[in-house]
Amino acid sequence: MQRLLTGLRKNRTVLITMVVLLALFLLAIQGLSTQDWVITLLRGLSLSAIIFLVTAGFSLIFGLMDVMNFAHGTLFMIGAYVGWSAYVRPDTVLDLLPPVALLAAGLLLQPLWNALLGRVRLPDLVARVWPWIGLLLAAALVVGVLSSWPVSRWVPGNPTTGPGGDSVVMDQALETKQPRPEPASAGRGPVWALAGALLAGTVGAASLAGLARRRQAGELRAARVSWRTWAVLGIVILGGIAVYLANDALTAWFYRLDTTWTFMIALVVGLLVGAVLGGVMEVTLIRPLHTRPIYYLMVTLGLGVVGIELVQVLWGRTEFTAPKPALFRGAGAACPATDLASWLEYHCSTISVLGGRVRVYNEVFIILVGLVVFVAVTLLLQRTRLGMIIRAGVQDSQMVEALGINVRRVFTLVFALGVALAAFGGVVAGPSMGLSPAMGESLLLLSLIAMAIGGLTSFPGAAVGSLLVGVLQQFIIKYGQVGIRLPFLAEPFKPTPPLVPASTVLLMVVILLVLPQGLLGRKE
Amino acid sequence: MDNLLEIRDIHTYIGQFHILQGVSVEVPRGTIVALLGRNGAGKTTTLKSVIGLTPPRQGQIVFDAREIQGQRPFDIAALGIGYVPEHRAIFRDLSVEENLRIAERKRGDLARKSDLIFGLFPDLKRLIKLPGTHLSGGQQQMLAVARALVPDNKMLLIDEPSEGLAPVIIEQLMGAIRQLSAETTVLLVEQNFIVASHLAERYVIIEEGHSVRSGMMADLVRDQATLHRYLGAA
Repeated sequence: MQRLLTGLRKNRTVLITMVVLLALFLLAIQGLSTQDWVITLLRGLSLSAIIFLVTAGFSLIFGLMDVMNFAHGTLFMIGAYVGWSAYVRPDTVLDLLPPVALLAAGLLLQPLWNALLGRVRLPDLVARVWPWIGLLLAAALVVGVLSSWPVSRWVPGNPTTGPGGDSVVMDQALETKQPRPEPASAGRGPVWALAGALLAGTVGAASLAGLARRRQAGELRAARVSWRTWAVLGIVILGGIAVYLANDALTAWFYRLDTTWTFMIALVVGLLVGAVLGGVMEVTLIRPLHTRPIYYLMVTLGLGVVGIELVQVLWGRTEFTAPKPALFRGAGAACPATDLASWLEYHCSTISVLGGRVRVYNEVFIILVGLVVFVAVTLLLQRTRLGMIIRAGVQDSQMVEALGINVRRVFTLVFALGVALAAFGGVVAGPSMGLSPAMGESLLLLSLIAMAIGGLTSFPGAAVGSLLVGVLQQFIIKYGQVGIRLPFLAEPFKPTPPLVPASTVLLMVVILLVLPQGLLGRKE
Repeated sequence: MDNLLEIRDIHTYIGQFHILQGVSVEVPRGTIVALLGRNGAGKTTTLKSVIGLTPPRQGQIVFDAREIQGQRPFDIAALGIGYVPEHRAIFRDLSVEENLRIAERKRGDLARKSDLIFGLFPDLKRLIKLPGTHLSGGQQQMLAVARALVPDNKMLLIDEPSEGLAPVIIEQLMGAIRQLSAETTVLLVEQNFIVASHLAERYVIIEEGHSVRSGMMADLVRDQATLHRYLGAA
């Protein structure tokens, strides 16, 4: 009892703020009919879930490594586009897989090169120059292979043959329950190109090993190639060759597969591509800069811009949407399902909640995904050794290192995890928000605000902040339609669209004035 | 003599400041060596140079017949060095148990060492589920020492263990460290000369980044002139 009271007194300001926020929320729903506010709230929570998927990684990375990853919004967007490709155009992804797999196989050989290079002594000049020549050679090989490799792909930006057109075709096929026409096969790529990809990866890996060796002072630890590396290598090479040989059959199979499954596969692809992008980004760009922290800002900002340009080149500037998977496309407004139980039977696209009809994908599925990710990451942080190291590292990563823990590896893992969550969020957002090269920018801003509100390095804070920002946005949008009746004004006051983003900034300013460390942040 | 740790003429910079300008320390196996000197002389930086948090630019550090300068802190620590930093660095968001478990290098380290740890610091057993923040200064210091005992360390680097603690607690800590020195080697930084002189067999005095004197503690205690000159003590 005593402890409870002191706890209450210590967190007085936080509690009062929470009560005020709750009162504001209750006031806000007074002006709306039940079904209106329920729908608005669910839309808000859905937006919150998407914001949370970006904020989660952003805040984990910032907490542990003190790196503000301004490319996070762009990585979210790249996740959306990559996920869309795996979902709507699996043939393109299948065409690209063999050379990419063999390139990756070559790169996986790096431990072997580390071990071999440890035994060779080269003259200093040679040792200094050859890795750079090797890297150039590898890059040239990659360009050569990719330009001669046939890929069946869309025409970026073209309304009918571009990605938007593919989405429309798929949407119509799903609506009429007809099989989707398969795009013409691009034909089989030349075998030499596959060998070239493997060679490029191998040369690249050897050069990187050479570079790393030059940078390393002191003795090199004896590098061994574990049987796991060999196993992964074998799987990657065999998988790449299998996809190469069975390309047409696999394409046909993917086009006949239920779209719910293709969407699940796209979610996994988004996670994996995000993890790889994040891991590579950390090792190649973030890690070498750890002595010059201010450069993080420029590198991540610049990378964000480059990513947007790249997406515009590959997918075009025009916006398009991803079709919703079959699971969420039962009969529309006439669907008999009213609650979740009957939804399981009919898979309606909408169900009614307290009198209002909400879209199952947008307002139920996405919120569930957000909850699942929140619980999963919380369990990771609280129940595993990795989570323990992350929590300790947020406070004092040097001390963690001095205990004998390889913090760099943890940094890479957390960066990969954070980017994977953002990319995953992008895939989830595709069918509800649509895809555009600018989608990441606005979300990054919202997620920064959410992080500031919740407390910069607190993971539960990231969740609470996202929740507030998402719900507030949707309520302001709603009141922009119905207007707020104020006692001194004859006309109801309607918040104009520019007030929507401004309202979240205002919330942040007010909360930070009262609680400089954010709602759940720690006092410094 | 068999030295577990030998610091040979190291020079360490923090930013552009030349903090250590030639420090040499020898720590024979199984002894406690105290680093003495005024505030800002470079004692803490010497410990940080050994563990690799502020790697030296020149000179050698030999631990257990292996040169370790320039290696990353986690590689150095894994050779068997436990570091108890100034201000304890207890992890706030971790419970007492997690603060110990995070130091495990092999699964089951904590279980194997729990008799030793809770024998030395019976208080910790009672507090095991509490968050790190709920401990008093003395309890945090005990936890910091205990954390360094979890893995099989050959050597402990202990920085200012008595700082800001009540005399009773200092007594208890000194007892624990003396008990430990039967099995491990300790390099100790200690402002409180009474504490240092009771614990250590040998001393090294550091003055403005140079190691200027070293020898047996028993001789130093009687050498009023040296004490007065370097430590300002009576």
